[in-house]
Amino acid sequence: MTNIEKLNKIFCEVFSVEESALNENFSNCNVEGWDSVRQLSLTTAVEDEFDIMLDAEDILDFTSYENAKNILCKYQIEL
Amino acid sequence: MFLDLDKKDRYKVAVIDDSGRRVTYGEICDFSKMFATQLPYRTLIFILSENKIGSLLGYTASLTNRIVPLVLSAATEESLYEHLLEVYRPEFLWLPNHLAEKKGFSSVFSAWDYSLVKTGYPRVPMFEDLSLLLPTSGSTGSPKLVRHSYRNIEVNAANVRCLFELDGTERAMAILPMHYTMGLSVIASHLLAGSILLLSGKSLLDKGFWAMLKEATSFTGVPYSYEILTKMRFTRMDLPNLKVITQGGGKLTEEIFKMLAQYAHDNGKKFIATYGQSECTARMAYLPAELALEKICSIGFAEPGGQLSIVDENGNETFEGEAQGEMLYRGENVTLGYANSQEDLLKGDENHGIMHTGDLARRDADGCYFIIGRLKRFLKIYGLRIGLDEVEGLIKTEFNTDCYCKGNDEKLIVLVIDAKLKEVLPSFIEEKTHLFHQRIEIQVVKEILRNEAGKVINQ
Repeated sequence: MTNIEKLNKIFCEVFSVEESALNENFSNCNVEGWDSVRQLSLTTAVEDEFDIMLDAEDILDFTSYENAKNILCKYQIEL
Repeated sequence: MFLDLDKKDRYKVAVIDDSGRRVTYGEICDFSKMFATQLPYRTLIFILSENKIGSLLGYTASLTNRIVPLVLSAATEESLYEHLLEVYRPEFLWLPNHLAEKKGFSSVFSAWDYSLVKTGYPRVPMFEDLSLLLPTSGSTGSPKLVRHSYRNIEVNAANVRCLFELDGTERAMAILPMHYTMGLSVIASHLLAGSILLLSGKSLLDKGFWAMLKEATSFTGVPYSYEILTKMRFTRMDLPNLKVITQGGGKLTEEIFKMLAQYAHDNGKKFIATYGQSECTARMAYLPAELALEKICSIGFAEPGGQLSIVDENGNETFEGEAQGEMLYRGENVTLGYANSQEDLLKGDENHGIMHTGDLARRDADGCYFIIGRLKRFLKIYGLRIGLDEVEGLIKTEFNTDCYCKGNDEKLIVLVIDAKLKEVLPSFIEEKTHLFHQRIEIQVVKEILRNEAGKVINQ
């Protein structure tokens, strides 16, 4: 699996959505039920999958699909 | 007046919410008077709560004017809310403006983004000492409610104020939802003390929350709040104003408990673990901060004015010395009892100050209590109380199938026979209970085996 596939899989599982739903509008403003439980599940899954440790600031910024991709780039994860 | 709100400094700020709006003690009193002109008699009201000033003002005005509220989450799932409405037939609702519009009500009056609306149901007769109703479980929408007296709320507020030594200098971070007994306990105890409440409905992973926390002198959370705080490595943050961290609503892991105790010890703060139930107006026991490092995961002793005991397997009740068995509590915060129908609101005190907690506890030689298990069939996940019988009832009604729920405070496990349900059940349960679907496990079994007494045996 490529890195982007891994990331998409994490989002799809946490939010119970199809991959096609993941776009630039997929964020805590537009997605119903995006709460701390889901955000923390996302960041924990990302840390486990990519073997990284996110900074507190990045956990707070993990509020959209786009942000998630940008944050992973910061940790040298090529998407 | 409720919580002596009229005896505080009128000009002192009482509540600041996460939109930055604030209200003074004087304004709370004025609002209550104004509310009484719109609703001048005792009846039943539903408050669809959010952690916002409008919601809180509806609560203080109701209690002050002897109007009896059922405080529910504004996010309660639609069909569950409808069910409660049918069962209890409240005469009024106090709800966010946008919900009033959505439900098609015209408001009697509105203020602070909240509206008072009439449902069309007649005035509800109730027991004279009934003050407040709360759901027994977070949001499974069971019609089973806890009935509180006026004395219950006052005495809990006074006890919490006393054990945390609260005064007017406090700025308490209030993040627990208002429809949750601990959330209301934080609110009532700090208002009684004349403190400032920092009321927030934001996610703990929102920057707004962290900005508010920097101002706070105390933080009250459930185990899941501390999981998030730990993940955010808050022990390395500079939080000079924070003096007290306290926890309730379930058991912390040993690891997090130790970490909080050590953090408090090293940084000149207090960590106070507490124990409580809705049935006893939130708090019942607490572990004094100076014992936190020594008695890991203990709930300590009964709060001031309360008494704990243990009934062992032979039925002997003891109040001191080492023992193990069901924990009992006595105190003025023991609520009146349950309600399952509108008619039950006429009932008086059925508990008489004694509560069989349904929790199994161990008491050590120093008199400290430790919760070691649970007799009642519910789980506590993310501070949500998930009634297993209720979840089974929801599944059986919707899918007309046998099922069995079990689990622990990490995960709800549902046994079913029909393999097709494996796909649909997690989202169904999530919709009804708000429990995150990744904490739900569906196990398909050949059959659900019951013994002669109807007890499920394939565990």
